[in-house]
Amino acid sequence: MTTIRLDRVSRTFGSVRAVDNVSATIEEGKLFTLLGPSGCGKTTLLRMIAGFADVEAGSIWFGDRRIDTLPAHRRNTGMVFQNYAIFPNLTVQDNVAYGLRARKVRTTDIRARVDKALERVRLVGYGARWPHQLSGGQLQRVAIARVLVIEPSVLLFDEPLSNLDAQLRVQMRVEIRQLQQSLGLTTIYVTHDQEEALAISDRIAILRSGKIEQIGSPEEIYQRPQTAFVAEFLGGTNMLPGIAGKFDGRTTEVAACGTTISVVGKVADAGQKLFLSIRPEALRVAEHSDSPVLHAKLVLREFLGQIQRLHASLPDGTQIRVSTLGSRHVAAVGAALALAYDPAQVIVYPGH
Amino acid sequence: MKGFRYTIVFGGLALLVLFLLYPLSLVLDASLRVNGTGTLTLANYAQIFASKYYLGSIGNSLLAATLAALGATLIGTPLAFCLARVDMPGKTVLLTLATLPLVLPSFVAAYALVLLFGHAGVVTTGLREIGVPIGPIYGLPGITIVFLLTLYPYVLLPSIAGFRAIDISIEEAARNLGGSRLHAFRTVLLPVAMPAVLAGALLVFIEALENFGVPVVLAEDRPFLAVDIFKLFAGEAENNPAAAGALSVLLIAGTAVALVIQRRYLSRRRFATNARAAPPPLPLSPGWRMLATVFSWGIVALSLLPFIAVLFISFLHFRGPVLTWQLAFSNYSMLLEGSFRPLYNSLLLATITAVVATLLGAPIGYIVTRHRGALSTGLDMIGMIPFAVSGTVLAIGLIIAFNSGILVLTGGWLILVIAYVVRKLPFCIRSSSAIVHQIEPSLEEASINLGVPPLRTFVTLTVPLMASGLIGGMILVWITAASELSSTIVLYTSRWSTMTVRMYHFLEGGEGAGSASAAAAILILFTAAPLLLIHRRVRRQDDPML
Repeated sequence: MTTIRLDRVSRTFGSVRAVDNVSATIEEGKLFTLLGPSGCGKTTLLRMIAGFADVEAGSIWFGDRRIDTLPAHRRNTGMVFQNYAIFPNLTVQDNVAYGLRARKVRTTDIRARVDKALERVRLVGYGARWPHQLSGGQLQRVAIARVLVIEPSVLLFDEPLSNLDAQLRVQMRVEIRQLQQSLGLTTIYVTHDQEEALAISDRIAILRSGKIEQIGSPEEIYQRPQTAFVAEFLGGTNMLPGIAGKFDGRTTEVAACGTTISVVGKVADAGQKLFLSIRPEALRVAEHSDSPVLHAKLVLREFLGQIQRLHASLPDGTQIRVSTLGSRHVAAVGAALALAYDPAQVIVYPGH
Repeated sequence: MKGFRYTIVFGGLALLVLFLLYPLSLVLDASLRVNGTGTLTLANYAQIFASKYYLGSIGNSLLAATLAALGATLIGTPLAFCLARVDMPGKTVLLTLATLPLVLPSFVAAYALVLLFGHAGVVTTGLREIGVPIGPIYGLPGITIVFLLTLYPYVLLPSIAGFRAIDISIEEAARNLGGSRLHAFRTVLLPVAMPAVLAGALLVFIEALENFGVPVVLAEDRPFLAVDIFKLFAGEAENNPAAAGALSVLLIAGTAVALVIQRRYLSRRRFATNARAAPPPLPLSPGWRMLATVFSWGIVALSLLPFIAVLFISFLHFRGPVLTWQLAFSNYSMLLEGSFRPLYNSLLLATITAVVATLLGAPIGYIVTRHRGALSTGLDMIGMIPFAVSGTVLAIGLIIAFNSGILVLTGGWLILVIAYVVRKLPFCIRSSSAIVHQIEPSLEEASINLGVPPLRTFVTLTVPLMASGLIGGMILVWITAASELSSTIVLYTSRWSTMTVRMYHFLEGGEGAGSASAAAAILILFTAAPLLLIHRRVRRQDDPML
């Protein structure tokens, strides 16, 4: 059980600040996800915690023990690699026993602990197999058993599911989350997949160019993104440029995309440039509505099973996306659509 | 394209049957008959196994080859790890220099050892003068040393590739689980690279077992298999083609077993770790880095030292067999005053061989890579046989086969070219196949999909893509053909004598030490110069034979 504390951690590669003055505290037993586009520094940060990338400035603490000065093999972290990094020259059980042997655990104990770890990842009976005889999902489980067996202080996952197919990915992330919760291990999880991050995390840090953009629970980050970058990265919102109009005491009228959009509160002085974020699911196709509506024209319909995504063009031609239930009947392409929205769900960001 | 495929497969098979399998079957046949031509018998084999001399010959050859393989592994593996994972000054140059011993004629290195450590060697006499007694280097020690110094790159090159193919995450996982760097090396890196190392060691064993030039220079009167085969077949005193045949069959059996073990071993252990990029250099302290640098440069320099010594000595004046410390061109003038013919022959034969072997090997390599099938697999396997057959044995087979009958080839230049081409074909096929492996099949599919017919796609797209690699391979064939001795010595005539044969005769006579050194120097220049000129191209494809 370990609290992880990152204290003003930095790392540069040449002129690029890969990790830029990052501070965060990961509470004991929580699953903390580093989420961001490729090149945002999330993997570098994870490798700094594991000891594979040098910390140039700042410090990393497990509880009250500073660990960034220890060599990688003394940190007692359990890292699951993107490509699993299963030793091809060892059988499954020898792979799992590797860390125990390095720690000079007694041979009799090794056997029992390896069996228990394999049982935990549902690989009983696979001990004598060779890695090349296993599927991707099974290799993933070996990698997890191999780190669980050493009873690490913290678990580190580096995009562990990116080499699996879509169905297995969803199944494995559930298994990882359940294991992590049942063991109560403090975990840092790196991914670029926002759905994965929302699904399994206690807390998420969104990284951009080496800096933390926002930290919060999945719900907070999704519903109250603090910056336009977070709003766009998470859930692919409609980001519309506009100019603030007059405030009528309750809402502000914003001129955007050839129409007018109401926003709750006085968000800016009249004439100021800003961005409006409206999530695709915050828009409803409606014939009659008490709420304000946007008038648009249907351009394209993507049927996705449970839901469907409509692409519609606003009066000035800007395209926006609307998510509705897949069963719902909609007008033909080219027809006019009335899109109702709740002004309280429109989020405003300052313009450039 | 189908027609093209069948032409290549059947043409290739026909040539290999006529110039490889048929001659070899005649060698086998001769070994099973009284005096090589009489009635069927096993007496020739019985005679060998009853003879202390021949058993000694087999034993010596096996022992030298085993020691060479062991030594090459012990030197090549740490050197490979240094070259793969340590940042050191002049690494690119070092890599190029390390490949040189593979193509430099090994009997020249053996000769250098004689010049330095022989009965009248520079070092031997020098040490004796100051009172240090030193025995001559002839026999097993000298032969093993030369094998070691000239063959270790066979272990080095695949091992470098092996260490580079290990993804860094494998090492990081070992460290993350609590292993120190040394522990990770011992438990993961070395075992994963081991198949590559052992594959190279078996190649050293095969090459050392077959080698004719080194024992012929250094064995003196100790029996060695490859030399005895030659003497029994071509020697005036003890001519016995049946015994030569039997020894040849035993030699082929030995190399074939090693080759089969190698293939079996490799097919069972493929520790591919799919490195996305070569692992980064190790963060070493300056002391360790210095140690690695000195070790690496030391080994490579040591392996090139014999060749450098020969180059140097060739410019010194010999008085008979005795070396003086006078700079002179007398060796060269003596060598060339007879005739330029052998030099000209070497160049001509090597050039024809390089062109023909590439033109044959390239399409075969393409087809066995792209079109797997029973026929092409068979062609691939038969195409590898020359590798297990020593030059002397193949030459003996060619002589038996084409000395009389419908097709008489002995005495001309063609039989030399045939022997060279057959011997270099495995290299050409492997090299071409390695190049084809690197060309995405989707490129060709895209071309066909866009409307260019398959054969035209091959000619206009694939061949140009292969060209640069093929030229590199062609130069290597040229180099090795120009310094070929083991089959030339059986097949040459006075009209078609080569530089290597000249050098052999100078050495055999004992008189022409000066001319021999000049001939050796010329051979070194012919082999090293083109390789150094194209070193970047050659290094990129490494040695596809491996």
